[in-house]
Amino acid sequence: MHLFDLPSGIPWLSLIWISLFVPTVLIAVVPSSQRDLIRWIGVVFSFLSLVLSLLVFFAYDPAQGGFQFVEKLDWIPQLGISYLLGVDGINLPMLVLNGFIIFTGALISWNIDHRLKEYWVLLLLLTTGVYGVFLALDLFLLFVFYELAVLPMYLLIGIWGSTRKEYGAMKLTLFLMTGSVFAIIGMVAIYFGSGLRTFNMIELANTVTFSGDFQRTFFPPLFIGFAVLAGMFPFHTWSPTGHVAAPTAVSMLHAGVLMKLGAYGCLRVAMWLMPYGAQQWLPFFAILTIFNVVYGATIAMAQRDFKFIIGYSSVSHMGLVVMSLAAANEIGLMGAVLQMFAHGIMTGLFFAVVGRMIYERTHTRQLPELGGLGRVMPFAAAMFVIGGLSSMGMPGFAGFWAEFNIFIGVWERYPLVAIIAALSIPITGAYILRATYQVFFGTVKDPSFNALPALTWQEYTGGIILAIILIGVGIYPAILTELIHTGVAPVVQQINGSINIAGF
Amino acid sequence: MQFEMTDIPRILPEILLLVLGLLVVGSDIFERWATDEAAQRERSHSAAWLTLIGLGMIFIIALLQSGYIPGTQLAEDTPSNFFTNILRNLQSGGPNSSTAVEPILGAFATDHLTMLGRLIFIGAAFLTVLLTFDVRPSAHPAEFYGLLVCSTAGMCIMSGASELILAYLAVELTSIPLYMLAGYFRTDKRSTEAGMKYFLFGAVSSGVLLYGMSLTYGFVASIQAVPVDGNVLTQFSRIGQASNSLLQNDQLITLAVLFVIAGLGYKIAVVPFHGWSPDVYQGAPTPITAFLSTASKAAGFLLLYRLLVTAFPGLTGSASLASDATFTGWTSALALIALLTLIVGNLAALPQTNVKRLLAYSSIAHAGFVLMAMLAWASPQSIDRAIGTSSLIYYLVVYTVTNIGAFGSLAVIGLLTGGDDIKNLNGLARRNLGLAVLFAIFVLSLAGIPPLSGFLAKFYVFMAAWQSGATWLVVIGAITTIISLYYYLRLLRAMFMQSPTTTEPIKTPAAMNLSLVVACLLVVFLGVFPNIVLTLIDQVQLVAGL
Repeated sequence: MHLFDLPSGIPWLSLIWISLFVPTVLIAVVPSSQRDLIRWIGVVFSFLSLVLSLLVFFAYDPAQGGFQFVEKLDWIPQLGISYLLGVDGINLPMLVLNGFIIFTGALISWNIDHRLKEYWVLLLLLTTGVYGVFLALDLFLLFVFYELAVLPMYLLIGIWGSTRKEYGAMKLTLFLMTGSVFAIIGMVAIYFGSGLRTFNMIELANTVTFSGDFQRTFFPPLFIGFAVLAGMFPFHTWSPTGHVAAPTAVSMLHAGVLMKLGAYGCLRVAMWLMPYGAQQWLPFFAILTIFNVVYGATIAMAQRDFKFIIGYSSVSHMGLVVMSLAAANEIGLMGAVLQMFAHGIMTGLFFAVVGRMIYERTHTRQLPELGGLGRVMPFAAAMFVIGGLSSMGMPGFAGFWAEFNIFIGVWERYPLVAIIAALSIPITGAYILRATYQVFFGTVKDPSFNALPALTWQEYTGGIILAIILIGVGIYPAILTELIHTGVAPVVQQINGSINIAGF
Repeated sequence: MQFEMTDIPRILPEILLLVLGLLVVGSDIFERWATDEAAQRERSHSAAWLTLIGLGMIFIIALLQSGYIPGTQLAEDTPSNFFTNILRNLQSGGPNSSTAVEPILGAFATDHLTMLGRLIFIGAAFLTVLLTFDVRPSAHPAEFYGLLVCSTAGMCIMSGASELILAYLAVELTSIPLYMLAGYFRTDKRSTEAGMKYFLFGAVSSGVLLYGMSLTYGFVASIQAVPVDGNVLTQFSRIGQASNSLLQNDQLITLAVLFVIAGLGYKIAVVPFHGWSPDVYQGAPTPITAFLSTASKAAGFLLLYRLLVTAFPGLTGSASLASDATFTGWTSALALIALLTLIVGNLAALPQTNVKRLLAYSSIAHAGFVLMAMLAWASPQSIDRAIGTSSLIYYLVVYTVTNIGAFGSLAVIGLLTGGDDIKNLNGLARRNLGLAVLFAIFVLSLAGIPPLSGFLAKFYVFMAAWQSGATWLVVIGAITTIISLYYYLRLLRAMFMQSPTTTEPIKTPAAMNLSLVVACLLVVFLGVFPNIVLTLIDQVQLVAGL
């Protein structure tokens, strides 16, 4: 949506990630006794980053398409590495998503009291990295930000988490690092295979055609490397453990944004640079994602821990994202990007309700022990229902448009896969309704629930923002679809065109 | 070929180091000799200050001589005044001068490789001295610093040696003081054991190295018996000519290369010549461990590199396992050693409970990564070889800074908590957050996490090995990186997640702080702005004879 032009000459994209890096440094020097000051710094700057990404979002011109607001500086010219940022229809929705999640996540983190300063420094460092990944168009730069986003997770989960936190943290870090090592091998191969000795992805995608053998060999490590982070079966086991162990805001960021980094990497790096490899390998990955979608949903159905339900629902929903990436047609990729956005917001809302509003008060997440909370905290119940409806793909919510596009896209390419995956729709409905019923309806299980402290303004604000987006995008999806379409069209063209290239 | 007066500026840093070493030992007689601790501390501090100031000045002189700081390299037409005259005289022996092309007497090259080596070693010695300020004082502090300086001088000569006998002497000049330093705490069983073990392994390895050298000499002499122009047959360039003239692989020279690699393999602590290093690293005083694991290793690598590429360029071979290549030459030997080193180093580090031992195995594993850089010589293209050289030196610089920081932090922690087991790290973040963060940064750089410099270093050697055709080794290297992450994260876990036995804050000594902060800034700076130092490193390509 092109509402206005931003003055040129200002590095808008750099400002976005710098606006979160600055408070990291600021908080590090503020004395830790200034607790509220630290919190305010975190919240204000994350709001600033949200505003900046919204400004860019509304100033982007979809009619023109392509990469806009491009910034380029030589970073390590000896190795053909540059500081190259730019936005198009794929990463712009992700930027806005990250802005919303970090802002609401910062609000939700207000009650963190234990080693507060370190918490905020790590949280902001993590989101700086996430912004960086979405902005970077240089493969090396993207990777640097990528690891910056993964590592703080280890400490955030290990120190502030719950339920087997050290195990969860170690497992998550090792899985993600394994993925990134695969990606590194792919990167080095691309660097030398192209003959250009550059990491500039625009140049690589537009001028280089890798040989068929090369793409067949190096597409899988690159794709799997990122797909580990997207939670693709069989590399998904870190994700529910990690989600459950993490503190609330980190779960929000993690399921909401970090897993999207993986899917984004699959699309932006693997599929964009190696379209022929994508053609060859994607049917295989489509089959793997069936496990994600159906098996993830079924496992979610069997869970008793409220957070595990959300964790496995993430596995299932991210499976849908990777599945529609595998469809690799325009409508499928559009569904994928839309689902990344919708699921990010939705799961953020879920974790805010489950982790912060409920668990921090009741200190239990076991379904049989909860019940009747709808009477005690109607706001939380309403939020959960809104998120749940979106998750089930109810028309009028963002999730509907995403899943609608996904199933059409997948149907077009792999009808059988689409039919099997559609099994997940009733299962999703079932586990969401079951959780809603057991937690929020019925009689109040434990009389002490009646005396739970009231929700704070930070929780209200965070919840309302996320719910409004879910409904807003549900009512007016064109705000995103038009944009996403300009982003995915070139990728699809490249994938379709790669078949016709002589010599394959 | 004769030694000229104009050659003196070319070896000025080494001369100054030797003078400093004698000065430190000699000045001790002006101190108050007493056995009480206050007097010992006083004596130890004055020796340390003298060494520190001396090393700092020599570092600055070397830096001016190198012309690496932008603006300090004099142009031909710079007007003369007092300062430019001094600078001009200094730089007449620098790597950019026209005289730097030929090694002095054919034996000592003063090119960019030597210059970068000197800066690494003198810098490392400087940081090490800072770390020793507050360790347990002993009765003979001046010896300690004198030996350290002598060893540094030996390393500088190692990096410049381009002749077998000088190379051997340099190795000994480096090692003998280090034997004594490793066993410096004579009353401590572990330290004595470390010194003894280091000495025994070192002596055997010297023998192996000498044997390799004599085989090489025999080989060269059997091809060209008469020395030309007074050149001796032990010069690397002369050996290079002889080995290049071979039409087919000669078994004698192959054996010689293997012996040389084995002999130097002990210096750089690669598997299977690594057995001494965990025990020695654990037993030696921690600041000395920092020095041993960095400068001494880097010197070994620089000598090995110069020796292999100038003396045996015809035997490079290939480390590729592709069907159209043959797995031969010294690159294949290095690739196999690298493979073993990566696997053994990283796996053996997993079960360690002592941080010093853990870091010892980690530094063994790092040697494996450095070897990967040398494989690039297998590619016939100069652009790939350039990647190899640059990545080697970048890795050594980064590794030196990082490991000095890591062992330095450990020295502080050991001093203040009374031990260097992992359990001594427990809850360090609650007791001294700054120290915990510093140590975490060093550990993460060792693990190769961007944007710290350890990441680019690893990435760069992967690129070098990839271009040599050793894709298989890159894959192994990448997998072992993940394994290594587990034990590095264990250190983070102890510091940040475990609860301490006491929350009493600990205060770190100022000199040690300075050393750690400098190392930390370098680790971050080299990672975020690597282009600056890479520009310098790329000049090594211009070296004569390389």
